[in-house]
Amino acid sequence: MNCDQVARDLDAYMDGELATDPAAAMRDHLDACAPCRQRFADREALGRLIRTVPPYEAPARLRARIAGQARQRTLSTRRLFAWAAAAVFAVSVGGALTFVRSTAKRGDTADDVVNGHVRSLMAEHLFDVRSTDQHTVKPWFLGQLDFSPPVVDLAAAGFPLAGGRLEYIAGRPAAALVYQRQKHTINVFVWPESGGSSGVTERAIRGFHVRHWVRDGLSFWAVSDLNDAELTEFARALRGT
Amino acid sequence: MSSRVFEETVLPHLDAAFNYARWLTRNGADAEDVVQDACVRAVRFFPSLRDGDPRAWLFAIVRNSWYSRVTRRAGMETRPLDSATDDPADGALNPEARLLQQRDVARVREALEQLPADFREVLVLREIEGMSYKEIATVVQVPIGTVMSRLARARDRLSAVLKPPSVPVERLS
Repeated sequence: MNCDQVARDLDAYMDGELATDPAAAMRDHLDACAPCRQRFADREALGRLIRTVPPYEAPARLRARIAGQARQRTLSTRRLFAWAAAAVFAVSVGGALTFVRSTAKRGDTADDVVNGHVRSLMAEHLFDVRSTDQHTVKPWFLGQLDFSPPVVDLAAAGFPLAGGRLEYIAGRPAAALVYQRQKHTINVFVWPESGGSSGVTERAIRGFHVRHWVRDGLSFWAVSDLNDAELTEFARALRGT
Repeated sequence: MSSRVFEETVLPHLDAAFNYARWLTRNGADAEDVVQDACVRAVRFFPSLRDGDPRAWLFAIVRNSWYSRVTRRAGMETRPLDSATDDPADGALNPEARLLQQRDVARVREALEQLPADFREVLVLREIEGMSYKEIATVVQVPIGTVMSRLARARDRLSAVLKPPSVPVERLS
């Protein structure tokens, strides 16, 4: 193998795409030829340099939108099966087991929810739709999700609506409603959940307060750095509507 | 296609698909549109996957989506030049040291973005996604030999861009 052939095949060799025999010939040549060895080292250094560039990640709203699209396609049959399965399960096994399962799951979900809250603040991507008007925010979710989250402005209670966005939480698309209280942001994550309505459970994770309840087949998660009392007031206002 | 199949096939590669689209379009919003469009097509073309490699299959669809957008927008993308810049092997010492001063992600990213799309994408697919020539050939829809020569030319071009402005000693024509 001469230097011209090396120049031609060097990339394939580096990329591990050269057949065994030419690769062996290449190795022999590189051992013997300093300029080609330099060329090879330059190539490898270039590869390392390119790989220092971090890959871009798909935004959460894109993930949510695409997952939502996929769900919508098979929704009607799936929902039927889900309800049937839930009914059979509830009748045959009873409530106790369901309760254990859902509380075990709830810890992880609360973590996901807090992560979603933090992410929304850090990335400064709070809104896909920015509006204090519930009649603007609610229709925006149509066609983006396979359910319709209730959207109400709570300005009268001191928690004005600020907007909404799509999220991807706990492995499924969710609506995120954003409320403000002075400088504080409250994220309310909503997605469908089969099973009966529940009262409010309270959590505190990494300094954030979390309120969770299920109502009318929808799971609600409110997260904020607001103090406990105010978030309780918020949850009451939202549930009271 | 059921949503489960879609989720298992497409969603695991969503970040990679977005990264690829982002490099093709050089723009976040356009990349989102391209990926979204690709996913709609993916649902429609799902039978064409058969037993193939889902990532290469999805990437090929991403590329087609991007390409049809670009052609719709009337040839804004330039084709790559065919002249491969020859690497003048200046007898410098350590390649690492030579490149060290430019070890700056922003600079590399910018240099990559300056490359023609055909060069840019093979570098991204090979170096960032770690695809084999065969996979790249599937995505880009060219023969493997073309992948090989295009990669070599792309690397030549990139190292020329990244090289510090050379001291004009003497220019041979």
